Amino acid sequence: MIMIAKDKFNKLFINKIFIRIFWMAIFMLIWEMIYLSHSFSPLILPSLGTILKSMYSNLLSGELIKETLYSLNLIFKGLGIGIIISITLASLSFVSKLFEGLVETLTAIAHPLPGIALLPLIILWLGATPHAIVFIIIHSVVWPLALNTYSGFKSIPKVYRQIGENYELSILQIIYHILIPASLPYFLTGLKIGWARAWRALISAEMIFGATGENGGLGWFIFKRRVFMDTPGIFAGLIVIVLIGILVENLVIVNLEKLTIRKWGMSI
Amino acid sequence: MILEMKNLTKSFKGSNSKSLVLEHINFNVNRRDFLCVVGPSGCGKSTLLKLIACFDKFDSGSILLNNKVVTAPQLNRIMVFQEFDQLFPWKTIVENIAFPIRVNNISMSKKESYEIAKKYISMVNLNNYENYYPHELSGGMKQRVAIARALAINPQILLMDEPFGSLDAQTRTTLQEMLIEIWEQTNITIIFVTHDIHEAILLSNKILVMDKNPGRVKKIIQNMLPRPRNPMQPGFSDIYYEVYNLL
Repeated sequence: MIMIAKDKFNKLFINKIFIRIFWMAIFMLIWEMIYLSHSFSPLILPSLGTILKSMYSNLLSGELIKETLYSLNLIFKGLGIGIIISITLASLSFVSKLFEGLVETLTAIAHPLPGIALLPLIILWLGATPHAIVFIIIHSVVWPLALNTYSGFKSIPKVYRQIGENYELSILQIIYHILIPASLPYFLTGLKIGWARAWRALISAEMIFGATGENGGLGWFIFKRRVFMDTPGIFAGLIVIVLIGILVENLVIVNLEKLTIRKWGMSI
Repeated sequence: MILEMKNLTKSFKGSNSKSLVLEHINFNVNRRDFLCVVGPSGCGKSTLLKLIACFDKFDSGSILLNNKVVTAPQLNRIMVFQEFDQLFPWKTIVENIAFPIRVNNISMSKKESYEIAKKYISMVNLNNYENYYPHELSGGMKQRVAIARALAINPQILLMDEPFGSLDAQTRTTLQEMLIEIWEQTNITIIFVTHDIHEAILLSNKILVMDKNPGRVKKIIQNMLPRPRNPMQPGFSDIYYEVYNLL
């Protein structure tokens, strides 16, 4: 009996989701205990209840949803354009040695540059418009993605290319039908890095930017809350930022992998 | 005569020296020949096959297919490799075979290309596997698919670079028998590189023995043993020792 109980106990703890919920519960418990001890002012550490209440009222008023959609719209625009540019750069590098040099030089210069460092310059160039934020997102996505896609192209077995030539595919057909699907594991790795960088850059840029017109995005939402000393509102915004990060990394990208490279038995 | 090799020479440039891989290669292949190329490792037999496919450039000489010089890879000469990963992992078996057909025949519908693909899937005895992905198949099955993909495009010459080299003995025997059957049923010409003398005698009607450093054609042996063949049949060991003594 004891053995079986121990087994069940272990199985429960092997379940990753359970472990995560378990530690989150512990964390929330400690949080609430600190709050109840009144060691800190509620302005610094609000109770979980007020955070949830603030989240609820901000969701209800539509403000939090509007800002979230605004941020997501910007990042997906940037991601989309970034993906197209990356694939183009990687393809050009693959076709021509001269372009390979150009892309390598550009990447060497731009890759170490944090997107947010470009902000003053971009504001000068594009003004304080949403275009500027999209530009920063594209910058955050393009370099890691182009780099990964290109190393994916280069890692492709030699026979794939020979098969493409043997079956009389043009160079564009080889890129489209063979190189892109064959380098998908690398592309997805690049996308993960690109997404993480873009998401961070977006939130920072929004904070510095403030509202351009009606909306300012999630970054501006939490920054505004500070001005009003609305600490529960800040935490509510932070929770949404974390949730979206988790959702995209663990649901969107993982499912993309399951539907493609894992189904096909491909990995790096 | 379908293929003529005329005075072919090929060298690889190393960091400080040039090494001659193939020198003065001259031979002809007739329509419906099953030519096996054997030779010690490093004699350039795989290189020779790659040159016929035009995957690589040669220094001098010429290759004529139906009396015309060939310069680029074409659908009339399809290579089957030794590597198991010559199938595209993101395509199912039927898609792998139908893909080259459709790319070269834009007016053909997906359904039509699948019909053709299925015909060749049953030719290599892989019925019911059409919707599997390559990673779900064994090595022998993958090689069957690669052969089906090559045949489905209806080439004149099948170039095979030790396609059974990584298979276990039993699977290899099955695939050898299947390949002979296909060769007898179709009017395809096969050039088959192997290091296995047994395999060469079982399959071929001609055996090209190569020499190494540099690679040269040492002798072409006619192999007229009656089929079905087996290593115990009269005459088998005579050819075996003839090839063996040349290597």
